[in-house]
Amino acid sequence: MESLRKNISNLFLNRIALKVVCILLMLTTGSLHAAVEIQSGKSIYDVSCSGCHAAGVLEAPKLGSQTDWDAREKQGFDVLQKHALKGFKNMPAKGGNPALKDSEIVNAIKYMLAQSGFEQYKDKPLSKTKTKPAKKSAPKKIAKVKLKPSKNIRTSSANRFNRLMKPASELNLAPAKDGLHDPENEGTLLLQPPKQAFELLSSAKSGNRVDWVKSLENKEIFPRYDRLSDEIKPVVMDLNIVREVKGSMPNVVYPHKQHTEWLDCSNCHPAIFIPQKGANQISMASILLGQQCGVCHGKVAFPVSECRKCHSQKKNLKTGNK
Amino acid sequence: MSFRLNIPVFLLVSSIFYPAISQAEYGDVLINNYSDEAGMRPVVFPHWFHRIRFRCKVCHADLGFKFEAGGNEINMLKIIDGEYCGACHNGEVAWSVENCDVCHSGKPGTPTQVHHSTTSKLFTLSSKKSKGDK
Repeated sequence: MESLRKNISNLFLNRIALKVVCILLMLTTGSLHAAVEIQSGKSIYDVSCSGCHAAGVLEAPKLGSQTDWDAREKQGFDVLQKHALKGFKNMPAKGGNPALKDSEIVNAIKYMLAQSGFEQYKDKPLSKTKTKPAKKSAPKKIAKVKLKPSKNIRTSSANRFNRLMKPASELNLAPAKDGLHDPENEGTLLLQPPKQAFELLSSAKSGNRVDWVKSLENKEIFPRYDRLSDEIKPVVMDLNIVREVKGSMPNVVYPHKQHTEWLDCSNCHPAIFIPQKGANQISMASILLGQQCGVCHGKVAFPVSECRKCHSQKKNLKTGNK
Repeated sequence: MSFRLNIPVFLLVSSIFYPAISQAEYGDVLINNYSDEAGMRPVVFPHWFHRIRFRCKVCHADLGFKFEAGGNEINMLKIIDGEYCGACHNGEVAWSVENCDVCHSGKPGTPTQVHHSTTSKLFTLSSKKSKGDK
């Protein structure tokens, strides 16, 4: 009887211990989550807000300028949040990017405030987890611990997965970070970050990571065909030219349709391509050297790594497997 | 997520070891025909930004831009006379020429090139048009 009681009390104690562990876990993961939230505020800012808020375009309050933010901050965070979400004066709703979640916008505002001298917003996401100030050092430690594996990935690049491939986070960088623009030039900050423009366009695996033809077809962009007018429409010619190709590569189907959506006949004919069947000798070598198709493909239109976009017609090979 | 924390550090480190690597946008054209000599930053033309707003035909057929980086020998006189960039960048269709450093925003000393082009990947940039080369 005594031992049973002991067992029960042990079980009870164990349960309490379990609960404590659970609560601790929740707290720590909660604070970890908060650390992540701060970071995402920065990344949202970099992609969607910096276009205006870095340089103060259209009277946008500048990041880092306390005087710009002071009056706005005094209205209260709820007002700021409302204006950012619904739009106010020059500020478009969600910064013109409806794909963003409300919480992401909130994080971005907090990030901008924190960076502009409003210290209280630095701690705000952390305070959500209801950790006492004394415990604040704990989440920092956890964040550091979490960092370590990624550091290893960076340093031991020899065994890193897809060593030669750029991760998505290093594509379509903002002008100030792209290595081509001078970050010390003021005008660089006025330029739109490509990611902001590309977010709602059809994506591709190469080039700008945008499928421009699809974006046009799906009416995600409305490029003018005339310098001044939106009304003038292109003269589209729907004619496919099939070019037979040596070896096992599928034949090339050249679509006039997609090309005439963007270009004028005179862009290609007769300087680049003689408009006559069989008159043009085309090779991948000359394309790679920037001639013929390579005048655009590999420079601004999708690059030659997209073999199948051109080599698209199946052949009936005698020995080949279908 | 924690990856992102390291990116600035990584970029910094990588920019020290691989100064030639640039992450610019595919199709960005850097034009440095005269800029370096004139003490201006070279011009960066963002193809992507313009093709969202205009089809190729507008610049390459109507305005006469050749399909060649640096091949149009554009200078500020032509622009203020309404040729090339000046056909739109005149304060009517697009913002005007007084915003020098929005176009002249490239790193000084960068040679003329189409960024991330297949040819520039296959060959090291020839000094043919890169007058700004050190």
